[in-house]
Amino acid sequence: MTWYKQIDWLLIICWVCLSTAGLVAIYSATLGPVSEFLPAYIQDNFYNQILWVGISIICMVAIQFTSPRSFLQTSYILYIVCIILAIITIFWGSEAGGARRWLVIAGIRFQISEMLKLATILVVANYLTSRRDISAEHIGSALWAIVLMLIPSIIIILQNDTGTALVLLSIIPVMLFWSGLPYGISLFLISPPIIAYFSVINWHIGVFLVVILTVAIFFIQKRLWLTASSLIVGLLVIIGVQVSLYQVLQPHQQARIEAFVNPSLDPQGAGWNVLQAKTAIGSGGLWGKGFLEGTQTQLRFLPEQWTDFIFPVIAEEFGLIGAGTLLVIFSLLLLRLLNIAGEHKHPFAQLVIVGVTMIFFVQLVINLGSAMGLLPVIGLPLPFVSYGGSAFLSFSIMLAICLNFDLYKREFSIYS
Amino acid sequence: MLRNKQKIRNTVSIRVMQVTILTILLILTGRLIQLQIIEYDKYGPLSLANSIRQESVSPARGLIFDRSGRMLVDNQPIYTITVTPATFDTETVPLLAEFLNMTPEMVKERIQIASQYSWHRPSRLFTDISFHSFSQIQENIWQLPGIGHLVESKRHYPTDIQGSHIFGYLSEVTQQEYRSSERYLLGDNAGRSGLEFKYEHNLRGDYGARYVRINALGQSLGPYDEQQLGRNPTKGADIYTHIDADLQLLGEELMQNKIGGLVVMDPNNGAVLALVSSPGFDVDRLSGRVDMDYWISLQSDTTNPLFNRAISTIQPPGSTIKPLLGLVGLDYGIITPETEINCTGGFRHGRLYRCTRAHGRQNLEQAIQNSCNTFFFSLMNQAMGQIGLNSWHRHISSFGLGQLSGIDLPNERQGILPDSSYYNSNFGPRQWGIGDLISLGVGQGTFSSSPIQMARFVSELANGGYKVKPQIVDRIVHPDGKITVHEPERERIPWVKEEHLKIIQQGMRKAITEGSGRFYSDLQGIEVAGKTGTAQNPHGIDHGWFISYAPYDQPEIAIAVLVENAGFGSISAAPIAGLLMEKYFYGSIQRSWVYDYVKNFTPREEQEVVF
Repeated sequence: MTWYKQIDWLLIICWVCLSTAGLVAIYSATLGPVSEFLPAYIQDNFYNQILWVGISIICMVAIQFTSPRSFLQTSYILYIVCIILAIITIFWGSEAGGARRWLVIAGIRFQISEMLKLATILVVANYLTSRRDISAEHIGSALWAIVLMLIPSIIIILQNDTGTALVLLSIIPVMLFWSGLPYGISLFLISPPIIAYFSVINWHIGVFLVVILTVAIFFIQKRLWLTASSLIVGLLVIIGVQVSLYQVLQPHQQARIEAFVNPSLDPQGAGWNVLQAKTAIGSGGLWGKGFLEGTQTQLRFLPEQWTDFIFPVIAEEFGLIGAGTLLVIFSLLLLRLLNIAGEHKHPFAQLVIVGVTMIFFVQLVINLGSAMGLLPVIGLPLPFVSYGGSAFLSFSIMLAICLNFDLYKREFSIYS
Repeated sequence: MLRNKQKIRNTVSIRVMQVTILTILLILTGRLIQLQIIEYDKYGPLSLANSIRQESVSPARGLIFDRSGRMLVDNQPIYTITVTPATFDTETVPLLAEFLNMTPEMVKERIQIASQYSWHRPSRLFTDISFHSFSQIQENIWQLPGIGHLVESKRHYPTDIQGSHIFGYLSEVTQQEYRSSERYLLGDNAGRSGLEFKYEHNLRGDYGARYVRINALGQSLGPYDEQQLGRNPTKGADIYTHIDADLQLLGEELMQNKIGGLVVMDPNNGAVLALVSSPGFDVDRLSGRVDMDYWISLQSDTTNPLFNRAISTIQPPGSTIKPLLGLVGLDYGIITPETEINCTGGFRHGRLYRCTRAHGRQNLEQAIQNSCNTFFFSLMNQAMGQIGLNSWHRHISSFGLGQLSGIDLPNERQGILPDSSYYNSNFGPRQWGIGDLISLGVGQGTFSSSPIQMARFVSELANGGYKVKPQIVDRIVHPDGKITVHEPERERIPWVKEEHLKIIQQGMRKAITEGSGRFYSDLQGIEVAGKTGTAQNPHGIDHGWFISYAPYDQPEIAIAVLVENAGFGSISAAPIAGLLMEKYFYGSIQRSWVYDYVKNFTPREEQEVVF
């Protein structure tokens, strides 16, 4: 078979569509009529993004010429290098908006945490592959895998970038699940965020969920200690959420949560972003207001409309047709990636692809959930669409690695 | 087998994850449909309202002029700078502070307050900054992101007149006021005293509206297409007063460092030419950015500068009332012009009612000229016996005593002209008698009145017995060119007889030429008539009164002066009226020694009770 028949063109088409949509939206958000309210360096974003798309294409093509095994072999080195760079960033990184995320290498600002996501997936996949199977009896290796993922998460939290850390944490249960962690324990692992989410809105729902999940876990696993822990952890999460809502969280974080639960309480303050984003999306209607015609976008009502709030730009100017198409492309991308993982024979490749899919998915959900008022505002870029060189490059590299695994799936098998 | 199980598990895992992902994406799609289709009717108008703002355009407040068309009150622009905290760069604080002549801490503090108010909307940072600071900031606006400006207006007083109790001050409307009236917006000023209060509805004008496109930072992007929606503001009406700026200025000068009030009036129509209450306050310092320290000092000042003594203080009129009482006596036939009473230094009725000295035989004209108490005690005694308190009250009240004069200023007080019901409610039925009434005959006791009432009654004596209503505003010129003129009310007081009035007027003329007025108010070339008075003050030095008019046979001007705690009216109040008349008739002060005397006047402590 010729090489071009082995390449998964659907994924590449999805990538092209998403980056194009991103460029269009960034153009509208920074070079449309709104540009007169924006400082010059933000007006450069569009051209910067084109540059990064170019760099990404080169990297993606280059990756197709490497052996899939090289990712397995270099994973620990990459992981350690990224960790060291991330620690350097904590102390010497350049600061913006209260977070130290950027490391300036050769005049280029680079966000090391984006690369750290990939490095962590690779290293955890490597580790779990070497452990073969995880069962309820061999929980020790699962704990080591968790430690490997917690280290970068903590470093990123120290960089004041809670959103990215949240993404990293969210892939823990998924990768363990894939490696054979029993269903019950996996459910137990993902139950705390679900309980936390609903108990922010209303703690009664939280308690209800704790009971439901505990019963579910009991029936799936039939182990008393797991059932008991599920109940206790669940209740602790509810208490923890209540305490941190009123005691631990900084006022601005409290305000964000508060604004999420009831945005109309403070339409000028913390609820502003959500309200304006929802207004932008809602006023787009079915067909949208047209390219460069969105009043919310062009009159600067949207905060960070080239990164975290880029989805409302698309939804306002291109309507449900545009935003819905974007969602369809994302679903195609995610489902296709999972299919590739299922077809692959090598567990390392499977784990990496599943991990990458989860990162895309979690970022997508948090970004869209924030913009549509389903989640408290957590600033995270929308994969391939939002402005941001390091993020775009690192997402593209992740996708390229998945393409690489798929391309070499015959050569790279467990038997070779 | 194991491999097979692994494979099954893989397939199951893939399906579980795909189903989860699809479910969550469907929830997101559902939310998208909810926002864009179901709630479109809510968010569509919201985004339109977001980008189009109705701005109110403030009307210019009406101007105030004096009788000869000189502008007394106009509007002056004040410069306000605003800050939008979201776009403000804190590194520019030192630069901003330098332009404003302030410390960076003060600026930081204000910005702190502004950001608490709103992060995205501009807030007033500093109001009424100097034009110099304003222009410096405008020149460097490119270095100061987030800084904007507003040009508002404040009242400005182009003449030297203080006019505090005529013009009055403005202050910001309360929440209740702007909620209850469509004419006010938050931050608007409304008149609180004086003409600004009384003619608020004329001076205010009406808001205009314009529709502008704005962005989220509140920056205006120019008018919205459908400009026909807007409307222009209606300017406030201009007010032309009867005030004579020169007389007013002199009156204020003469009353400086004294406590009291004076009113200068045209006796023929009640037009108020000057109205002074002292101490006054500086209206300029209450205009624009209110000087809080000054405001508090005004409120705590024991001399109460905010109190309009010219229309609201009530003091016993003392001997100034005597001419009117004589007129009443003549009308009821209690006395005739020839009736003589022998003054031996007092009037005895139960006790001794003292006179200033033994005047000997006095008829009415002489009694007015010499201000003989005995004559009027006796007259009062007879009047109470023959006609009773209430008939007496009715006659006197027709000259406006004990009644609101109706001057177009707020907070007037009516004073006290007692009748039997007054005594019944204050002393108790049958708890009062002739002993309480005799002192009314010399304007003491429960009797009390204000300078405006005194000016009114002396005008009515001067003009031949015609009722006048004091009036400051002559006409109101509306923005559409229409003019509302306040026609003077002039109505004959029915019981006043020409020949009786003549005798009273002669007595008042003599009081100036030969009586207590001769020292300071007998002018050369102008025939002045008048009457001095001294109001007993149980709390300290007596208050001096003087009422007068001129020229005697063809009156053009009537003046009432009250100087509190200054002793005899003849030496405290009379010189002030004399100087005002000189100014009125000659345009300048002839007797500079009297001017110096008034300016350096200090009341003597030892004062005998003199009626």
